[in-house]
Amino acid sequence: MSITLEQVTKRYQGQPVVNDVSLSVAEGEFFVLLGPSGSGKSTLLRAIAGLVDIDQGSIALHGNDVTHVGARDRGVGFVFQHYALFRHLTVAENIEFALRVRRMKGAERRARRAELLKLVALEGMDQRLPAQLSGGQQQRVAVARALAHKPQVLLLDEPFGALDAKIREELRWTIRSVQRELGITTVLVTHDQEEAFALADRIGVMNLGRLLEVGVPRDLYARPATRFVATFLGAANLLLAQQGPEGIRFGTTPVDATVQQPHIGREHEVVTLLRPEELELSAQREQLTSSYLGRATVEELQFTGALERLRLRLLDNQNAVQTSAGDGAEGRIEATRPQPERRALPLAIGDVVALGARRLHVLPTPLSSFVVYGISDSAALELAQVPLLITLAARMKTRVAACTGEPGCTPTAMPGVAVTAAGPDAPARTAELLRTGANEVLLLNATTDVPQQICMYWLDEPARHATLAVAASLLRHLPAEAVCIATAPAGRRDPRRGQALRALLDARSEARAAHALETRTELIPGEAPQALGDYLASQPTPLLVLGSADIASAQRTLEYLATHLPALPVMLVYREARH
Amino acid sequence: MMRPFLIGISLLFLGALLFAPLAMVFVSAFGAGWHAWFTTFADSDTGAAIRLTLLTAAIVVPLNTLFGVCAAWCIAKFEFPGKSMLITLIDLPLAVSPVVSGLIYVLLFGAQGWFGTWLQDHDISIIFAVPGIVLATSFVTFPYVARELIPLMQQQGNDEEEASITLGAGGWFTFFHVTLPRIRWGLLYGVILCNARAMGEFGAVSVVSGHIRGVTNTMPLHIEALYQDYSMAGAFAVASLLSLLAVVTLIIKSLLEWRMGVNHR
Amino acid sequence: MYWRRERSVIPGFGITFGFTTFFLSALVLLPLTALVIKGAGMDWTRFIKVVTDPRAVASYKLTFGASLLAALINIVFGFIVAWTLVRYRFPGRRFIDAIIDMPFALPTAVSGLALTAVFSGNGWIGQYLEPLGIKVAYAPLGITIALTLIGMPFVVRTVQPALEELPKDVEEAAATLGAGPAYTFFRVILPALLPAVLTGFTLAFARAVGEYGSITFIAGNIPFKTEITPLLIIIKLDEYDYAAAAAIGCVMLAISFVMLLAINLVQAWGRRRISGAVRR
Repeated sequence: MSITLEQVTKRYQGQPVVNDVSLSVAEGEFFVLLGPSGSGKSTLLRAIAGLVDIDQGSIALHGNDVTHVGARDRGVGFVFQHYALFRHLTVAENIEFALRVRRMKGAERRARRAELLKLVALEGMDQRLPAQLSGGQQQRVAVARALAHKPQVLLLDEPFGALDAKIREELRWTIRSVQRELGITTVLVTHDQEEAFALADRIGVMNLGRLLEVGVPRDLYARPATRFVATFLGAANLLLAQQGPEGIRFGTTPVDATVQQPHIGREHEVVTLLRPEELELSAQREQLTSSYLGRATVEELQFTGALERLRLRLLDNQNAVQTSAGDGAEGRIEATRPQPERRALPLAIGDVVALGARRLHVLPTPLSSFVVYGISDSAALELAQVPLLITLAARMKTRVAACTGEPGCTPTAMPGVAVTAAGPDAPARTAELLRTGANEVLLLNATTDVPQQICMYWLDEPARHATLAVAASLLRHLPAEAVCIATAPAGRRDPRRGQALRALLDARSEARAAHALETRTELIPGEAPQALGDYLASQPTPLLVLGSADIASAQRTLEYLATHLPALPVMLVYREARH
Repeated sequence: MMRPFLIGISLLFLGALLFAPLAMVFVSAFGAGWHAWFTTFADSDTGAAIRLTLLTAAIVVPLNTLFGVCAAWCIAKFEFPGKSMLITLIDLPLAVSPVVSGLIYVLLFGAQGWFGTWLQDHDISIIFAVPGIVLATSFVTFPYVARELIPLMQQQGNDEEEASITLGAGGWFTFFHVTLPRIRWGLLYGVILCNARAMGEFGAVSVVSGHIRGVTNTMPLHIEALYQDYSMAGAFAVASLLSLLAVVTLIIKSLLEWRMGVNHR
Repeated sequence: MYWRRERSVIPGFGITFGFTTFFLSALVLLPLTALVIKGAGMDWTRFIKVVTDPRAVASYKLTFGASLLAALINIVFGFIVAWTLVRYRFPGRRFIDAIIDMPFALPTAVSGLALTAVFSGNGWIGQYLEPLGIKVAYAPLGITIALTLIGMPFVVRTVQPALEELPKDVEEAAATLGAGPAYTFFRVILPALLPAVLTGFTLAFARAVGEYGSITFIAGNIPFKTEITPLLIIIKLDEYDYAAAAAIGCVMLAISFVMLLAINLVQAWGRRRISGAVRR
């Protein structure tokens, strides 16, 4: 491996900007780190170059640990966002800088410079000053300068950020061909998904300091594991569907979909990804060649050259379309069609069409939408205003529905995470929700804010898998620390201690393997729930993800926590034990 | 309407306040002819004053330049607690009255000062001697170079220095080959302002010098001495030399501003 | 709180920080502390007696009065000069622009000497003022003029950039909304420039309060009449009354700190106003 990062963490003023990132980049690979601004991608790149010190973890280049080696001696080539050319030096002097530092002889330097200028197609520009070059040319000089000392690794920090679209496109070809010619291991940082697709052998998507997913562009686009990657990599319709023993159901119609996640116990709501280009539009349902989704009216049409873009509104199953709460886009679906299809079925605003899904991908995330349960409208409204819930719903781009005790408003009829107010009667209410079909219940106070720590604890081993999955899903949307907790009697010799320790280690490797999530582990001496309560009381703003395969024991634990830690938010994860 | 009126007021205001005094200096200095002008400088006390002024500037300016570069590097390149406090403290001498600036050294090194007895015992004179003049001048000119360099270096950022280091250069190499060429005009700008103030300082030096003719009188103090002797021609002759210094300073300053303005683009 | 300094790849923090703080402490902080300790070490009643001595009080009145008047003159005329330089193009503008900084470069002894000559009874300007009964040299008015000269560039140089940055379209917008030139000036331009004008005013005032060099020539230094506070310190020193000099020096130093604080507050207020306006 050319670059190996192990659990790299970087904090600024206590806030992690790079959070537990592990990554390997192969020899000669072109790797792109993609993410929105503030996702930590540039910091990670600077950490690889040694321009930023990391707080935890290790960095190895070509098998040598360089975590404590200064930037000067890492021998990487770094291209800065704004080029950082030495403005008082000519192009030739800029390129020869690293060679001069290394006391290379004049003739050799000139030969190397000529070679590099040819590589970046800037022959004859030697004596110009940077100010006399265009932005694109300056960036070429920056690349040549970074390559002069034959580094083993080339790092580029948003190298095209400050350039026009046309020049950007052109430079992409140059960089890719230079990289291929030299076979140099390259990491490029960008926020532009198109650029990432065009350049990368593999892409790593970052958000909120975490490396969410790594993969080949095609795979990431078609089969993302997370909502964030699904929507960041391109236009996406996220639809809620039901997963039952007989497969995926959309409303009442069964649909074909790629499923990675096995069916769990009882019927469960899932999030599916439908790319705009995978929608089929037809006048009649019978003419569809793909799974029927429903009927829709055309609301907007845009001609964009090669493609026609449409905004459609579903006439049935409107609730299935996931959007962030309250932006009035419920039931809206985006579609694109190539021109031949448009000619075959010309559409106008107001037309009604049948929609088919050529390819529906089920996201393996256990959290779909939220349903707030309150005794009255005002109580439900108050609950929907809790800061944590607002943050989660906005980041998950999902909806928050409300249930205020009207008949038929049960978790079976309203799938999703049930949200209810914490309090003395919350444990009993939770048990009732679980009995009537809920799989996850989130207990919140009016003031619950974004947690700094997400603690995972499960009452029975069968619930572990689901607990980790739910916690991992939460952690993709919240910049918090992940801790796996187990309790064991204090005695050193007690065999249950060894068991608990093994279970923790298993959980940690499962989190890493299945969810790319790095977790801390805590083995607390004492008996649950007292020991658990004491530990949580000592932590700054935790959120407990509590797993259980038994409703009665879940209720008992919640009752203890409700009396001793009334302010603690709890995400209860219930999975029936398989018989 | 407004335009000629406002331009007129501006010119009148500046004419009375700036041009008339400046013209007065040169007219009075050369009014009695070149010969009289030169006679002033033949005087040994005047020569000593010029030498002392040059000596003071020769010590103070390099010292404050070194300090300015160090302070600017430390403040512009690094983040550390108390940074804004440090910047305020560096600017402090500009807010203090020159007379107070001189006074504080008298209180430290004067006959009744903290170190006064010790200095007397060891036969070292600071106050009413050259070291005191150098100290007081250093105090008042202390912030000039740092003030020019700090915003300049902060605005330039660390990118080029970081690039230099990823290319394998060390700290000194980076400073001399990357940083210094970028800040040279700003540095020169600070240095000439520092120099002008060092040569022209009156209040602070007046307190510590003791006004011993031919020994501890700098050029500005010598002007006062000549003025009190009613030797107007002499006073104006020395003043004309200092005015010339001011004019040259302004010319270099304008050139540098033009130069830096071009560099920015 | 995290007091740990963020480690940087750029070397040299230790040596530059060490030298900076050492030099600063030795040259500036230690001597200033000596002054404060000397002043504070005095008997309290004597301290009060020295600093409230009628002669000292008269000098405060003169110093502050003249400085205030000079700063006020400067914000009026300095504003006009800045306006002329920014808004109008006329021959010699660049020359005028360069020479505004003259008081920064010209030794105060020279400006004091020259102003005295110009405004004395037989000087170029003084000869026309004398018959009108206006006495400038060796009078408080002379002090004001000298202080106006040294404070002038502060006002011009703070107002000028603010005026340059003032978007021209704001005035045009006001005109399209039906505002006349005077209304536009007082309701649109002046409020936008107020922070800069105030900053310039405080800088000029602070500088004037401490000034000594140019005043000694033009003031005539008559006790109770034209004796400024810095001069009083020198007189006390000449009398070897170090304690009294230190006491008055402490008062001056305290005033310097207050002025420094005022300048920072005015600037912070200006920044908040500008950036707040941009954000909204």
